[in-house]
Amino acid sequence: MGLSMLELLQLLKRRKVNYKIVDSTIELLVDESIYSVDVLHKCFYWYSSGYDITILRSDIADGCLQVQISPKNKSNEFEADCLISRIKQDLIDYKLRDIVTKETQSIRELIIAKAFAYYNLDTNPATDVSDPVGFNPNHDHVNG
Amino acid sequence: MDNLPVKNTRKFKTEEHYNNSSSYHLLPFRFHRITSLKEVLVNEIGDFLLVPIGTAKAIITKSFTRNENEELYGDLIANFFISETPIPELLDVLAVRYRTRKSFLDYFTSLHIFVITLRCEHTCHYCQVSRVNKDIDAFNMQKHHINAGIDLMMKSPNPDITMEFQGGEALLAFDKIIYAVERTKVEAQKYNKNISYVICTNLAPLTDDILHYCKSNNILISTSLDGPDYIHNQNRHRPQKNSYELAIDGIRKCRETLGEENVSALLTTTALSLKYPFEIVDEYYSQGFRNIFLRPISPYGFATHNDKKNKYETSTFLDFYKTALGRIIEYNLQGQFYREDYASIILKKVLTPFPVGYVDLQSPAGMINNVIVFNYDGKVYATDESRMLAEMNDYTFLLGTVEDSYEDIFYGAKALELSEYWLNETLPGCSECAFQGYCGSDPVFNYATQGSLVGFRPTSAFCQKNMEIIRYLFELMDSDKRIEKVFKSWIVGRT
Ligand code: SF4
Repeated sequence: MGLSMLELLQLLKRRKVNYKIVDSTIELLVDESIYSVDVLHKCFYWYSSGYDITILRSDIADGCLQVQISPKNKSNEFEADCLISRIKQDLIDYKLRDIVTKETQSIRELIIAKAFAYYNLDTNPATDVSDPVGFNPNHDHVNG
Repeated sequence: MDNLPVKNTRKFKTEEHYNNSSSYHLLPFRFHRITSLKEVLVNEIGDFLLVPIGTAKAIITKSFTRNENEELYGDLIANFFISETPIPELLDVLAVRYRTRKSFLDYFTSLHIFVITLRCEHTCHYCQVSRVNKDIDAFNMQKHHINAGIDLMMKSPNPDITMEFQGGEALLAFDKIIYAVERTKVEAQKYNKNISYVICTNLAPLTDDILHYCKSNNILISTSLDGPDYIHNQNRHRPQKNSYELAIDGIRKCRETLGEENVSALLTTTALSLKYPFEIVDEYYSQGFRNIFLRPISPYGFATHNDKKNKYETSTFLDFYKTALGRIIEYNLQGQFYREDYASIILKKVLTPFPVGYVDLQSPAGMINNVIVFNYDGKVYATDESRMLAEMNDYTFLLGTVEDSYEDIFYGAKALELSEYWLNETLPGCSECAFQGYCGSDPVFNYATQGSLVGFRPTSAFCQKNMEIIRYLFELMDSDKRIEKVFKSWIVGRT
């Protein structure tokens, strides 16, 4: 991660995403040091049912990625303002998800490896496991 | 006194420690907006916290401090969302909790479905598989196939096995069921298995002899009830137009002989049902049922490969579901116990540390891991829906025949290929979804509706349905503490 958490927070607060609309295509220009290709792919995946999405390295701005978003059905009315603010929010959310994923990757691997290694079927939790509703573990079939 | 060393303990830390905003480390968790005010944080082991919008951002960017909200900080630490050490001190507990969440895998396949006959005396318009053919034996399971199916079933590592007879109309081949049960009883003793028997039937061919055999062998009856007569009879065609009357009469007889708890009913939701949420809920209640399973319309048949239509069908179903659920909650708020089963499955995953053995909502998927289907012709399929596809000449989920070896069927090349797609942890869209642990993966559904085993979440009816139902359940719990109490009563059972 190229930025400190504080810088990142400030950038996220300003929601620094530039865009322009050409015909019915929105062209977003995003700083790759904030929004990586991974983040863009995960975010725009959810838009790809209604929009054609192209993600490119920008040839006009160094260190930037360009995202082209055009509706699949051209006759659909294009509510750019609404769409842009949704995209900005989603970009932040996916950036946050990316931070957690990257920062916790090894701990996640450790949990899963420990969970399945040296497993003995009779093992019970060594510590009190929280059981918010006092549920009996022996009756675990609701259906099916 | 001045010379005493400063002692670091877990409980007491220096003042600077608490003012340092980034003194904690993140643990794996995901988040999802529930309403315009609230979001839910869900960690790797399925524990959740409902918090104001913006909390996830504050935690992740470490602009959140302990001083700001001691209670939340404590919750985040205690529930494994953040840790004060790079590796949490209770890592082993986390690992055991993770293992518990996946413990439905421990014993492998439990549900063995025997499609004992394809014959049926109904002509339901949505049914893909039945034959009204009078040529009795051509569409019945042959004895050598039954024997081979039982041999495979005995090889399952699972000590507790459910043997389910399906059709067509299973009772039309009751002699085959008797043969299968008698043989299984002997084999089960040899292999030390506990077998639960279930017959799925519309009850039309029910006789006293059948009932007595079921009684003496502890066979459970699972029947169909689609709502009041004007829905049920419309859905389930019979020349005499009396499917509803036969079902109700059959349910009464089964209850008298087998006991109330040994008879259950399943709802098939059709386009017609969607107009009658109240009537269907009320019908189940007045017939003495205290649970109902609001299942969505099956995509196998009429809703395949059409994204727009699927989306429409799913949002209509969701409206139906919410209205019906509201009605069921009303009964509960008036002091009656009445449970919706789909919500209960999800709520158990949300509110307890335990998994649920429900094949359509788990990861790894239920196919092969929890269910296997032996078709009437000796073919083995990964799920019940897989054989429906096969009836439409699509053999993607054909694993082999009952004569193949256990290893070839359950651990063979086909099973291995399917295993690439049965973890939602690795599927696009699902991998970052907060509801991952409550939801599941269903490659058969993906394939049937979208033509690919991976599926495409933005237009997936499976995703649209589950994401909205799970979100809605959180919204309901948050909106009214009385509803949360009702939901908890559904998990622990009748109170
Ligand atoms: S199917 Fe949808 S709701 Fe379920 S885990 Fe995947 S993305 Fe989430």
